[in-house]
Amino acid sequence: MTSTGTAGTARADTRLIHGVGLGAMEWLHAHRDGFRLDPDADPEVGFLERFKPVGELALICKVLFQAGVAGSRQAQLARQLIDHAWRHTLDGGAMLVRGQRTEPISPIPFEVYLAFKELGYSHPELEQAIRLNHRLVSSAAFDVPNVRRLALCAYERRFGLPPQVPMDEVVARTWLGRTPEPWTAEGHIGYDVTHTVFHLTDWGERPEGLPPRLAEYLAHWLPAWLDDWLDLKRWDLLGELLVVDACLPEPTLDARAWEGFAGAQQPDGAMPAVRAMPEGSPDDVFDVVYHSTLVAAFASVVAMSRALSQLAHA
Amino acid sequence: MEQSGTSTPLTGAVQDLASEVVSALRSGGHSRVVRGATGIDGDDGITVAAVRILGPDVLLPSILLRTTPDTEDVALFEKAVTGFPPPPNASPASVWSHWAMTQALRRANASGGAYADGVPAGGEEPRTTWLEDASWQFLTHQLAVLGGLATPDGTSAVARIAARRPVDVARGFVRAVRRRDWLQAAAAGRWLVTLDGVPETLGLDAGLDFVDLMGGGDPRVALHLQAARLMRAGERG
Repeated sequence: MTSTGTAGTARADTRLIHGVGLGAMEWLHAHRDGFRLDPDADPEVGFLERFKPVGELALICKVLFQAGVAGSRQAQLARQLIDHAWRHTLDGGAMLVRGQRTEPISPIPFEVYLAFKELGYSHPELEQAIRLNHRLVSSAAFDVPNVRRLALCAYERRFGLPPQVPMDEVVARTWLGRTPEPWTAEGHIGYDVTHTVFHLTDWGERPEGLPPRLAEYLAHWLPAWLDDWLDLKRWDLLGELLVVDACLPEPTLDARAWEGFAGAQQPDGAMPAVRAMPEGSPDDVFDVVYHSTLVAAFASVVAMSRALSQLAHA
Repeated sequence: MEQSGTSTPLTGAVQDLASEVVSALRSGGHSRVVRGATGIDGDDGITVAAVRILGPDVLLPSILLRTTPDTEDVALFEKAVTGFPPPPNASPASVWSHWAMTQALRRANASGGAYADGVPAGGEEPRTTWLEDASWQFLTHQLAVLGGLATPDGTSAVARIAARRPVDVARGFVRAVRRRDWLQAAAAGRWLVTLDGVPETLGLDAGLDFVDLMGGGDPRVALHLQAARLMRAGERG
């Protein structure tokens, strides 16, 4: 289905959206060993540096696993990936404890642990550290960007702890929360916007978590951003913006954006981050494209979920 | 009102003419636009072609400032209208540009009183089918090419289409700014000033100043921005 150039935005074919997600999951599963920690990391870089991909993998696989629209093949791959990450990459949670002991006040082990805990994995010693950190003024005072503070508040709530800073206050301080001039949005602002939406909606699982004021702002300006970052071939950011679209009260499922996104995907399912696939060793290539490929799986599952629920209510 | 291509002398003449319009709009006084343009010889073919490219905006000072246009300006304007009728295969935007010029000429002659002879009939409006189902990107692009139709009392069918789609034109403004297409951004901003229902979050006033800061060195950009400011002021006053 192609964009017709009409006043109403043409909607992408759900088979195309589904295909993007399935391809991405196949690639992630085939390259699961790329999710690796570096116990001998240079102290300047830090042992915790390589935890971020694992946390993102868990959060997105959880959405995929629970969405119920991904199809049995994708749900199976998601479950296997999470299990692999917990048992092998994190050594049953022991690596998270090690990370916490390396940098006791860092919130990273907590952020990575959350999705695993929600899926039934558990590590009591790590939870002790998480609860202790939550009591510290230092944790609340920890100087982080507003959108990261919003993430921590959202994860605390999901974990069953009261957020250390009121969520509304944090939202109001984010870029999106202030609904600024949309023509000023640059790449890093784009990521602030997408992540604000992710945290408000529990990574697309609760679209209703997006306040109407912000939903209206995004409904107005997201089409312009999708258009721009599609033309710039910024696939990683475009994928995240497609998630945002799927979180809106009336998703556009913009055919032109989805077709461009699908067109960038490689035959093996990998999604380049920007323009074309990078060259280099398998590990280097993984490090550049794992995120955009995860985002492809994520965008697909959230968009499919909304498309199907709209069909059900039609 | 169309892109002037790569012809250097003509491009220069259009720029000079636009500068003169901006100057007339800013001063609020003199209205000898064409004859006042630096380096423009009023009898030269290039001048007439430049007038045709800038379109109805050549007479904009008299419209926005409610002054009587200079008689020689009107005569040259008429030459451009009659000398460059749209060819049979002209683009819709070109046909509309010509229509807008005939309207401006009729108005100028009505206010001047003495130049009604030989004025082509304004006649029926051209068709708008090419814009009816346009995507917001294409709509904004075409409206920008036809920026001269964005006037306080512009009641064309094109203006009515724009009035139905303020959010789409606002998206087009965002797109143009992001692409650093200052001419399109300025023209889209000028249209937005004439429309109701533009989302407050666009930040249009600051947006116009931003376009001025980044691209206002181009007289054609400055012309749209100055038109927008005058219309904004009129709206508030």
